[in-house]
Amino acid sequence: MDLDALKANLKKDFQEIVSQDELNQLKVKYLGKKGRITELSKNIKNLPSEERPIFGKKIGELRSLYEDLLNSVQEKIELQIINESLEKDQIDVTLPGSFKSQGKLHPLTITTKKITDFFSSKGYLIEDGPEIESDYYNFDALNIPKDHPARDMHDTFYLDNGNLLRTHTSPVQIRSIEKRGAPLKIICPGKVYRSDADKTHTPMFHQIEGLVIDENINFGHLKNEIMTFIDFFFGPDTKVRFRPSYFPFTEPSAEVDIMEKKSKNWLEIMGCGLVHPNVIDMAGLDSKKFSGFAFGMGIERMAKLSYEIEDMRSLFSNDIKFLSQ
Amino acid sequence: MKVLYSNITKAIKAKPKIENLCDDLTLIGIEVDEIKSFQGDKIIDFDLTPNRGDCFSVKGLARDYCAYKDKKFSSATKSSFKGEKKFNKKINLFAKDACSAYSAVSISNLKLIKKFPDHIKKTLKAAGIQSIHPLVDIVNFVMLENGQPMHVFDQDKIEGDIEVRFAKTKEQIKILGEKNLKLTKDCLVIADEKEPIAFAGISGGLNHSVSKKTQNFLIESAFFHPSIIKGKARRYGFQTDASQRFERGVDFNLHEDALKEALSIIREIYQADISNVETIKNKYFPRKKIINISIEDVNLKLGTDFKENTIKSILNRLEIKLMKKNKNNLTFEVPSHRFDLSIKEDLIEEVARIIGYDNLPQIKNDSINQHYEKSDYDFINQIKTFMTNKGFNEVINYSFLDRQVLENLGIENKSIAIKNPLNNSLSVLRTSLLPSLATNLEFNINRGQNFLSIFEMGKSFSNDTHMEEINLAGLIYDDEKFKNWNTNQNYDFYYLKGILENFFAEFRIEKILWKKSQNDLLHPYASADIYLKNKLIGSVGSINPRFIKSLGLNKAFLYFEIKVESLPLNDLGKLIAPSIYPISQRDFSFEIDNKVSFEEIENCIHISSKNFLIGTKIFDVYDGKNISDGKKSIAFRVSWGSSKKTLSEEEINKEANLIISGMQKKLGAILR
Repeated sequence: MDLDALKANLKKDFQEIVSQDELNQLKVKYLGKKGRITELSKNIKNLPSEERPIFGKKIGELRSLYEDLLNSVQEKIELQIINESLEKDQIDVTLPGSFKSQGKLHPLTITTKKITDFFSSKGYLIEDGPEIESDYYNFDALNIPKDHPARDMHDTFYLDNGNLLRTHTSPVQIRSIEKRGAPLKIICPGKVYRSDADKTHTPMFHQIEGLVIDENINFGHLKNEIMTFIDFFFGPDTKVRFRPSYFPFTEPSAEVDIMEKKSKNWLEIMGCGLVHPNVIDMAGLDSKKFSGFAFGMGIERMAKLSYEIEDMRSLFSNDIKFLSQ
Repeated sequence: MKVLYSNITKAIKAKPKIENLCDDLTLIGIEVDEIKSFQGDKIIDFDLTPNRGDCFSVKGLARDYCAYKDKKFSSATKSSFKGEKKFNKKINLFAKDACSAYSAVSISNLKLIKKFPDHIKKTLKAAGIQSIHPLVDIVNFVMLENGQPMHVFDQDKIEGDIEVRFAKTKEQIKILGEKNLKLTKDCLVIADEKEPIAFAGISGGLNHSVSKKTQNFLIESAFFHPSIIKGKARRYGFQTDASQRFERGVDFNLHEDALKEALSIIREIYQADISNVETIKNKYFPRKKIINISIEDVNLKLGTDFKENTIKSILNRLEIKLMKKNKNNLTFEVPSHRFDLSIKEDLIEEVARIIGYDNLPQIKNDSINQHYEKSDYDFINQIKTFMTNKGFNEVINYSFLDRQVLENLGIENKSIAIKNPLNNSLSVLRTSLLPSLATNLEFNINRGQNFLSIFEMGKSFSNDTHMEEINLAGLIYDDEKFKNWNTNQNYDFYYLKGILENFFAEFRIEKILWKKSQNDLLHPYASADIYLKNKLIGSVGSINPRFIKSLGLNKAFLYFEIKVESLPLNDLGKLIAPSIYPISQRDFSFEIDNKVSFEEIENCIHISSKNFLIGTKIFDVYDGKNISDGKKSIAFRVSWGSSKKTLSEEEINKEANLIISGMQKKLGAILR
């Protein structure tokens, strides 16, 4: 058989291959012990010496053609085998995943974090203090002496060990000034307690309070800080009003209201003011040198507005259906 | 304070729409709580701040409103009443600075000549004041209008002269409402020759009060100093219209005029014999307060640049008059109705209030540069996020609970009680987070949950040196018959321990020891106490079955609680580069006495193979078929490595043989 015919046969044979078995047979047919190419190679020695190199070269070409065809067909068949086996691995991708293992943070934690993140980014340090407080830190140091009518505004839980549960986070202001001095910029989130319970009050709730002390702090600085915060928390087109109020530890004092977008009602969201000179002096600074502002808000109220919660008490029901949303 | 809209419009001599009136009052710090319709009129309920005693009347509100609107206030109380008869009791003011002015008048032979005015009845009803006696109603009406509380006595019950003095030891008074008060020496009383007839500025005595039968009346109108009245009524657990006003401060120039106004009304309605108004003042009569301030003071605090004239005219509208000017220093006099003004800042607030807070500038300030410090709060948030990533939902519970719950669990020792709890179920501060979480579990089971995985970070309290500390507690409850189709997670001690091990690893806390638990709340044989350097920091395990019922449950749950404050939390630390040489491993399986703990085996391995040892990983514990009674099979993989070279086969064989012989000698373990 001449080489050209063998070449044509080789191509034809490889074209017809569809399985690994056929391919294996073909390997035997061409390169087995008695394979066609093997036989031809054996014949070289019978040829006249001058023809040998030419024939040898042709055999070489034939072999490399064989290798190329073999490789490409081998690849094709392997791919075919993988594709066939993949189909057997068919799964239902609409069945649920194995186990839902992600828990949720409490809405109050998330709300608090949103607020602290804002103030942290503005350079406030985050401070906390004890929930069991003395009369001094909860009242006296905040310019609320005994028998002050403002104590009526704080329905206080008293403890059998002579202390009380703090009624606001403001004692942290005093503790921080004592600890760190001035200038000072702090934000204090925490639990507070008042003996009060109805649809809008729970006996334990959360407050967050900010304090800035430096030389020449003024009411304009306070307004700017609050306005920037409200822009961040409620969006830039929120309508805001400041109105005079009374807290023994600030003078002037203000309440801040925002206008509820749907109802157009004013909603009180925080109290603030310039720190009362008595408070600055009692905490150990000189009120002739330092002034400051403070602000405080209820986190439940803020959570209620962000999550549109109707009843404050649902925040403490710890119903997993509510919390895992 | 509830006030009729029509009474305010009368006092301001204008008729703004009620919404506008309320908005204006709100913007000057007089908060409107509610508006209600009432007999063709409106009741406005004001939420007055405790500093503004001067607004505790219709005219007080009107005065502030007129100042804000820059309108002349022309309803001030002035009366020129003159009585005919002589007041025939002597008034002695013994408590000098507590009561510095006292007016009184006698009335007898009262005969109605005109219909009792409806608007007085309506005003009282709107204010929620009960009608008692026509004369009492009239003085109450004058109080609502002007702010001066007055009191009507049955004069025939008063024996002899009147004195204002502090209570004597063991003196008592029965007040309206049948309450018997044991007075202390700092309580001011009005007394006759025999006994106290009124708790001054707070309540009249029941024995000397008027009734339908009263023939002769004595009306008192006095100035009691706020510092004497403050907190007194509250001490006895009540408040009155008088105490609320006096403790905030009633205009010290008002008592006589207010009384005369009441007498004018009486005269219009009744034929009566009325005495002259007897007024006793002593030299301790309050002096007008002076405040020194400069224009710069105002502008520095408000961030403004107001001119002197602006400030002067605003303060003048509030009847705060400039007395003296010395270069930059302005001296203002505080009017007799403003007890809340005493320092510069008070005047600055007055200026700001009348200008309107919303009209003041907003000023950026970045003067303070502080270095960031990682706070406890940041760590707490990191821990909370770790827990949610482990599948726990966060709960927040009240810090107080029922003492009985703590007693049932035997953890009431050193608990702190609340002296004035809202109710018994909130009477004591929690000493552990367990009862709260168990309550959450019960609540959720009752709502159809059969799987729960929750955690809380909060304080537990006890009467130790540190009365409070932050704990992290978690609970897993699994009663799911039908689990997710592809899940067979086993929630047992080791599951929860694994989470805690991850927790300690996350915060780089090393040298944690797990010991059989001594915690009575947990299963005595299936729970652990956790130690850090010999300090107990928490417990983990299954709840002790004997508490299941008292916690309102049917099935045990897994629980842990850790004292977070005692942990050296750290999220940064040294990282060690791994060796470039391969690690060698060998697997072992031993049969060993059932009572030998893994900790003992691990220690034995560490003692036996001293060279190149990296660690041990246990991969099987088995005590079933083919294992003798009282024994268990335990299989583990030991790893060795060096940072300097690849270990040779001989070196590893030597170490492996040391482990086999060590296990045999020390623990009687037989290689399988």
